[in-house]
Amino acid sequence: MPLANKVALVTGGRGGIGRAIVSRFIDEGASVFAADLNEGGSLDNIGDSAGEFLSLDVTSEDSVIAALKSVESTHGKLDILVNAAGIEIEKTIEDTTLDEWNRSFAVNATGTFLTCKYALPLLRAAATEDSSASIINFGSYDGFIADPGLAAYCATKGAVHALTRAMACDHGPEGIRVNAICPGYVDTPMLQSFFNGDGSGGQGGSIESLQQAVRDVHPLRTYGTPEDIANLVNWLASDEARYASGQLWVLDGGLSAQVQQMKL
Amino acid sequence: MTISLHGKTAIVTGGASGIGHGIVQCFVDAGAEVFVCGRREQPDALPKHCTYSSVDVANPNTVKRFAESVVHALASNSNRTIDILVNNAGVQVEKTVVDSTDEDWEQVIGANARGVFNMCRELIPVMTDGGSIINIGSISGQVADPSMALYNASKAFVHGLTRSIAVDHGPKIRCNAICPGWIETGMLEAGFATADNPTAARQDALDRHPVRRFGKPEDIASLALWLASADSSFATGQLFTIDGGMTASSPLNPGLF
Repeated sequence: MPLANKVALVTGGRGGIGRAIVSRFIDEGASVFAADLNEGGSLDNIGDSAGEFLSLDVTSEDSVIAALKSVESTHGKLDILVNAAGIEIEKTIEDTTLDEWNRSFAVNATGTFLTCKYALPLLRAAATEDSSASIINFGSYDGFIADPGLAAYCATKGAVHALTRAMACDHGPEGIRVNAICPGYVDTPMLQSFFNGDGSGGQGGSIESLQQAVRDVHPLRTYGTPEDIANLVNWLASDEARYASGQLWVLDGGLSAQVQQMKL
Repeated sequence: MTISLHGKTAIVTGGASGIGHGIVQCFVDAGAEVFVCGRREQPDALPKHCTYSSVDVANPNTVKRFAESVVHALASNSNRTIDILVNNAGVQVEKTVVDSTDEDWEQVIGANARGVFNMCRELIPVMTDGGSIINIGSISGQVADPSMALYNASKAFVHGLTRSIAVDHGPKIRCNAICPGWIETGMLEAGFATADNPTAARQDALDRHPVRRFGKPEDIASLALWLASADSSFATGQLFTIDGGMTASSPLNPGLF
């Protein structure tokens, strides 16, 4: 199996996309830590919980250090780090409180910084001549073009994109590849919350008509599933992607390949 | 799970050497039936289980005949059609705009731009529902290589056409481009050989790659395999760069001084 003998840690590992990544890594033969705030994560109504749960608050330096200590004590290395933990505040900047702004950066940007910072020694320990270690960050197509009412979120994702390139540049020579996946619309609790939120759902129509409108604007006439994202994470984590580094991988069903869809 | 293309059919243009040959080998290893075309007569080094045709992709009539012959062969043998199209054929002329001749224009734009258009126009109507087109663009279509004016522009054409096909022909067809960086082919070593100090030039180029090596045709083939497979079924209209991190770093790269 392609990820046999690989050790992986997925932050947000109990969230919508994180769960799909954890399951896929297990199918591919990896030992996987599903790191999240609590056992149920943001989907505590879902029963299955693949991977070894690791309690982690990515905004806390102590928590990150403790989580990676436990990876070190059991495996002594980390081959794959996926930073899938993220939050989304659905507001313009005028309505965003300083606390919400800081919290967005704490989870999405600082969280990525902290896990990478403390995982680097374990990633170096895993890298060999034939097989590099791989960091996969979560950017967003919102880091390139903006969705309305998501100002702080868009800004945090831009930060993740730039950090991804910087780390690829600094740690490539140590055998560590760094990439970011930039999903478009993916069917997760976060997307359902966006449909329900003030930013888009409050336009008078039903949620169903809004969902259909979102599907129709995609060249592939659908939005993505967590498994679609896990497919790319899996490739970037594998040795097949051994020459891929420093890139932002947009996966959005063609949404951002087109210009604004005017109603003409 | 290793990606399988068992039962799938593919066309790879420019498949006789370099990146194209790497893609052909990878697709054949993954179980696909591959139709290869190139400018030359049948090369010796092609893997078994693929069919070779000599085709000038710049010529619309030749491309039409090639497409019809592949489609006819598949339909009569196995009632199948084409699932995957890889537009890899391309030529490179190293000149500025001022130095480029009309013949250079015909050659570079003919193969790199019109060739991709010709193949797509013939094959999109007959490809499988859910088919995947993979165009080989280039980092040179995003940032300019010096003295490669027509080549750079031709690759930007490929990038624009890739998005257009994705937007116009989704959801039936997915279309993405791979933008390779510096890949180890004869062309790369020939470039170093022209430097004042070839060893220093090679080391300087390596230092500008965070992964500290140049790419191999297999590196590009593994991304082409992913884009050809069902694992990438949500990916369309994108340009995927695979360059060992080179264009993620600033061209100045102060660490080198």
